[in-house]
Amino acid sequence: MSNKRKRIDLIYQGITYAAASVAVIVLSMIFIYVFTNGSGLLNFGLITTDYHAKFYNSGIQEVDQFSTAPRPDNLGEDTYYSEKWGIALADSEDREGKLVITVEYVSEDSPLKNLMYDKNSEDEKPIQLEEGDILGTIKFNDKGSALSIYGAKNMLDELDEEDTFREMVFYTKGGGIRGSIITTLYLIGLTMLLALPIGVFTAIYLNEFAPINRFTNILRSMIEVLTGVPSIIFGLMGLAVFVPLTVKYTPADSGNIISGAMTLAVILLPVIIRSTEESLKVVPDAFRQASLALGANETQTTFKVVLPSAIPGILTATLLAIGRVIGESAALIFAIGTAIKDDISIFGKSTSLAVHIWSLMTDEPANIELASTIAVIILIIVLALNLLVKLVSKKFTKKFD
Amino acid sequence: MTEIKKQITRFKKKFNFNSKKEVIDFLVRTFFLLSTILSASFIVIIIIFIAQKGVIPFVTDNDGIGRVNLWKFLTGLDWLKGTAFKSNLYGVGFIIINTLYISFFALLISMPIGVLTALFIAKIAPKKIAEFLRTVVELLAAVPSIVYGLFGSGLILTLVYNLAKIFGVQSKGGNSVLAVILVLALMILPTITALSEVAIRSVNKDIEHGSLALGATRTQTNFKVVLSSAKSGIFSAAILGLGRALGEATAVSLVAGNARSGPSLAFFEITSTLTSTMLQGLKETIGIDYDIRFSVGLVLMVVILFSNLTLNFIKKKVGNVDVK
Repeated sequence: MSNKRKRIDLIYQGITYAAASVAVIVLSMIFIYVFTNGSGLLNFGLITTDYHAKFYNSGIQEVDQFSTAPRPDNLGEDTYYSEKWGIALADSEDREGKLVITVEYVSEDSPLKNLMYDKNSEDEKPIQLEEGDILGTIKFNDKGSALSIYGAKNMLDELDEEDTFREMVFYTKGGGIRGSIITTLYLIGLTMLLALPIGVFTAIYLNEFAPINRFTNILRSMIEVLTGVPSIIFGLMGLAVFVPLTVKYTPADSGNIISGAMTLAVILLPVIIRSTEESLKVVPDAFRQASLALGANETQTTFKVVLPSAIPGILTATLLAIGRVIGESAALIFAIGTAIKDDISIFGKSTSLAVHIWSLMTDEPANIELASTIAVIILIIVLALNLLVKLVSKKFTKKFD
Repeated sequence: MTEIKKQITRFKKKFNFNSKKEVIDFLVRTFFLLSTILSASFIVIIIIFIAQKGVIPFVTDNDGIGRVNLWKFLTGLDWLKGTAFKSNLYGVGFIIINTLYISFFALLISMPIGVLTALFIAKIAPKKIAEFLRTVVELLAAVPSIVYGLFGSGLILTLVYNLAKIFGVQSKGGNSVLAVILVLALMILPTITALSEVAIRSVNKDIEHGSLALGATRTQTNFKVVLSSAKSGIFSAAILGLGRALGEATAVSLVAGNARSGPSLAFFEITSTLTSTMLQGLKETIGIDYDIRFSVGLVLMVVILFSNLTLNFIKKKVGNVDVK
């Protein structure tokens, strides 16, 4: 081999190395981007709190014992503490850059924790001021209100002078994703309930019962075509078929979780059918013949001999399908809608995690931080599912020799 | 119970069944056939219902607004003349051009990278690296499109914005043809790589051995013999990649900028695709502004069909080399 040839070969090989590195770079860039933007908000509270802030107008009962808790050591420099009321307040900015007062700490014996009631509820049920809440206004009986625009220090000073107040306006921080997580779980459950039986039965029919003829071929290719249809088209179908259907037969009055699950089920059918069929194909014919020869009928053979061998395939299909449900956005935007909700009903609108991101990104201004946090959660789940699929198919695939 | 037994006996007689088992077999088989027919019917349902809604703007007078002219719709260079709820002057001509233009460039970027990566995984890389890269490609394929959209609107938009600045062009925060091309190129890369790899691996070993025996080096064989033998499979990869690029919705809509007229051919101009147009203005739930979305969906399906047919035609012309 000439030296020139060697050099040229090396260059060609180098090009393939460079091309292959693109995939690695892209994947790591996606990870780094999403994690650096999203990890700031990532905590357990996020998945248990509501998205929409809740407003409270609270009154207070007569206080006979004020707080005695000393200032906790872990409070920051610019946090103001009132020993009398047992709360710590700080100035901060919300996402739109407006100044707000956040509650940093509430002591156990604080009157604001034990003696407040909700003025808007009929039976004046007790409520508590909690850490993370945002304080709006405190209205007093005999002097002007303390407003949040004058800052945390002013508000605490005003509060310290008094022994009671007429009304405290505060609201929860919001920005949680509890509702979207519940919706996503509903969607996964309902979609699987619809798609798994139909998909598995179809795969069994195509692989076990179907005669080899034109009709079977047409059925097969009609299912095959579904794989190439973009998800937004499935969304349009959901809007045109499943939404009217659910509106007619359920209490729903517009896009809802059931119509979304039906749409997703159609998207997932080809995935489930193909994966199940693959695993049915590797079951040797000798198994079927042996079962039939022992006097079992076709049904028994299918359910007791063939299907158990297909379990890993069905499991793989289920895992892949769950990943698709979590990641799907375009179809659900049409089939359910984009309104982020906290109280979830399967007959009502709400967003899955992916659509939640879309809603946040199309808002003005876009909430990239929370969107990235949700993306982190989605990425971790989807990638874990994919690795799990690899493990399952490696471990459970029976080798028939 | 006797009632049921009687029924079964009657049923057996009618269909010439000999035993209860055969009746069960028949019922199970029919039930399975019905699920199969249901699965297969969805493609028909999709076409019928979208077509049915999609033609409404062209055949009715849309509550007094007037019929949409099909020719003007297909060739129009403005999405909507006049105001929503009042006008029937919709046009998607420029959007069709935008969509094809963007997908073509995405494919142009993604094809060489994807095919070379596939060649690397299948033929050049050591086993461990190949296995690692295969996992990376699978994971890339599994990343949901909304995450690509988020990544695109966060990172790629900034990149394009700064690039435009270097060229002295004012871009709308980076929303541009180039941003869409880049995002789509990333999204179809795993599809193309995975399918090309399968095509490359199924090239008949005899051809390779023949080339090596004639004195060609490994690299020469890989590039000149293996790649050209796998070209039919690589073409299939391109067809699937193009399908994905044409139909991708959420990620594109986040970086396109939603141009209302066009076509947008300059790389730093804002643009719009068929899918991003469908995702626009979701607030309407009635009337022409709602139905027109189905018309755009119909156009999208036709565009995908035609581009698939064209590529399949080219694939046949390119010809097939002996593969396993």
